[in-house]
Amino acid sequence: MSDLAIDIRNVAKRYAEHVAVRDLSLQVPRGAVYGLLGPNGAGKTTTIRMILNIIVPDSGTITLFGQPHRTAGITDRIGYLPEERGLYKKMQVRRVLRFLAELKGVSGPVADRRIEEWMERLQLKTPEKDWGLAKVDELSRGMQQKVQFIGTLLHDPDLVILDEPFSGLDPINAQALKDTIVELKARGKTVIFSTHLMDNAERLCDSVCIIAHGDKVLDGDVGTVKASAGMRNVALSVGGEARSLLGPILADRTLVKRADDQNRFHEIELAAGADPQLLLRRVIETGAPVHRFELMQPSLHQIFLEKVGATGVEEGMSGQG
Amino acid sequence: MARVDMRKLGVVFKREYLERVRSRWFLIGTLLGPVFFAMITVVPILISARTKTSADLANIAILDATASGVGERVAGALRQRYPASRPPEVRNLDAASIPREEDRATRDVQDKRIRGYFVIDSSTVAGRSVRYAGRNASSLSDVENLTAVIRQQVLAQRLSAAGIDAERVTQLTGPRLQVSTEKIGDKGREKGSGMGNVIFGYVVALLLYMMIAIYGQAILRGVMEEKTTRVAEVVVSSVSTDTLLAGKIVGVGLVAITQVLAWVALSLSFAVYLLPSLLTRLGTPAAGAGSGVPAGGGAPTATALAAALPSLDLGTGLALLAFFVLGFIFYASLFAAVGAMVNNQEDVQQAQMPVMLLLVSSVIFMTPIMTNPGSGLARTMSLLPFSAPILMPLRMTLVAVPWYELAGSLAGVTLACLAAIWLSARIYRVGLLMYGKRPSLGELARWVRYAG
Repeated sequence: MSDLAIDIRNVAKRYAEHVAVRDLSLQVPRGAVYGLLGPNGAGKTTTIRMILNIIVPDSGTITLFGQPHRTAGITDRIGYLPEERGLYKKMQVRRVLRFLAELKGVSGPVADRRIEEWMERLQLKTPEKDWGLAKVDELSRGMQQKVQFIGTLLHDPDLVILDEPFSGLDPINAQALKDTIVELKARGKTVIFSTHLMDNAERLCDSVCIIAHGDKVLDGDVGTVKASAGMRNVALSVGGEARSLLGPILADRTLVKRADDQNRFHEIELAAGADPQLLLRRVIETGAPVHRFELMQPSLHQIFLEKVGATGVEEGMSGQG
Repeated sequence: MARVDMRKLGVVFKREYLERVRSRWFLIGTLLGPVFFAMITVVPILISARTKTSADLANIAILDATASGVGERVAGALRQRYPASRPPEVRNLDAASIPREEDRATRDVQDKRIRGYFVIDSSTVAGRSVRYAGRNASSLSDVENLTAVIRQQVLAQRLSAAGIDAERVTQLTGPRLQVSTEKIGDKGREKGSGMGNVIFGYVVALLLYMMIAIYGQAILRGVMEEKTTRVAEVVVSSVSTDTLLAGKIVGVGLVAITQVLAWVALSLSFAVYLLPSLLTRLGTPAAGAGSGVPAGGGAPTATALAAALPSLDLGTGLALLAFFVLGFIFYASLFAAVGAMVNNQEDVQQAQMPVMLLLVSSVIFMTPIMTNPGSGLARTMSLLPFSAPILMPLRMTLVAVPWYELAGSLAGVTLACLAAIWLSARIYRVGLLMYGKRPSLGELARWVRYAG
């Protein structure tokens, strides 16, 4: 038994107009929560579709649980929530779920029992109302997302792949999703999710892989990735009216390499060789009341910006990250 | 290619079949189908029955310009044959006044005093022509009945002019011959009438066309729904597109077969239990229904009706089923490919045009092939793979088709089927997850190439 859930080696996929994935290799350990990060159009969805054998790679190999990914029946061990969600609109909710479970090889009675459990757990079945009897298009958007989510997990998959799972979720559903991911990990399942929202990834992921333009930029477990970037970041917050006093300090390139105004605080990357204590002294000298001064690891967001650069950002990061 | 998982195919099939059979539209279609077929079969019978019983058939004027007494003979025969009708009126006149008298008779018809008029002149007595003008000139059965009478009487007139005595003439011209037709096939004489076969062949061909068109388009809509609701991506992460396509075609095809079987069962029970009593109440001869021969009377019984139904031996039945199955698979896979190409309802009309043209082109040739099922056109169209599934069954019910033509036709359709499946599976595989604008022919060719 391999201890890798997914082992992708030198995979490439080209279309007539562009290269979707260029020579990608990545390894996902069993039992990890793994983030596939990258701007829109980076090749995340193409990679996921290749893992699921929906698209055939031009070259390279994909191994799932130590077996070639085209082994018959191996996709039955994967649960997949695609970015573009949808269900049969005119079908009864229970029948849709049963169909999805049976497609994965779950027998009818087992599927029915799990459907009841999940529907009660996600409040689709309450003493007052059983939404399982309704047609899909009678459900609200949020409820449809719950149904889709149940459909992803009904066959108790060993590997769960979630493509942009948080997009379009209201806070309650997002919380339910987060709880479920944590629970899946606790049960030894492997979870991969793609996102272009770094905050989610930072909170949830054990390991990440950042890809841009079809290339891997970096990968590894989050702690290592952040540690290798060094403790060169400072979170600085001063009293509201004193913000303008910081201007000259932040512009000093011997001290500050880059400053990112996060509104509530500035995330500051120190210049090479600069002393954080000197920065603190300079701020106090301005007379500004310091609310927060914290030495910290850079956020994934910062690392992403640094590694991918502005070119990677322009396609999808702006305004959403 | 062969990435069909039988267990998953079963799951896809079950969904397609049950969801469609459970739908309200299936129930409505199944119940209304026989009503529709009853309308296109029974209503014409009722209409022709009504024209036949029209009491006033003999209420006509006979303009006789021959002074030979033919007019009186015709009038006498009509009086005798249609005692319930108002009697015909004979107007003897000379040839010169025909135009004036015709104008007067035309006005009489317009004023509804009479239904129409015959013009009998020297060419009638010579056995060449006679003219009829009237409100019912377009009613085939009226004209046929009037023609029968006048033919008989002109013949009688010519016989007596040749010196045969009157009693002998009546004796000779008296019989009113009824023609019953019978089809001869490879195994010799078959039960059932030729006319019954024509109607049966027509209904079968029409049914094949309707089922292929309706359920082929149902597949198109199903594929498009999966694509536009994006459910396709979840489904193809669990099952290969080949399996999905196969399950869909088998499922929808069996829905069509279920519906036809339900229609046949409903129609037969209608024909056996309800139709005879219905016809009795209307006082219509049932035998006329199947045979197309205007029968004078005759007890309307279920047996008479059953005799009018064409025979259908096992071989023909199996061939019909084979043609339906192959024809359906051929068109269904093409429709599925179209469904995978389009993203919205507006594109459908245009994108399905080539497939619809193939299908409709078979129906256009139904009438010429029915009138001449042995012609070169009929042979060609029943061999071409796209029209054979509809036109070969039509020909088979009309004439005895040589076995090698049948085998060739089946082989051609089978090959075309395989080609359509191969092509569609590739378009389907790529198109199902391809959004954006409808592909051009060039892009389509690329889809087919890189769908490995």
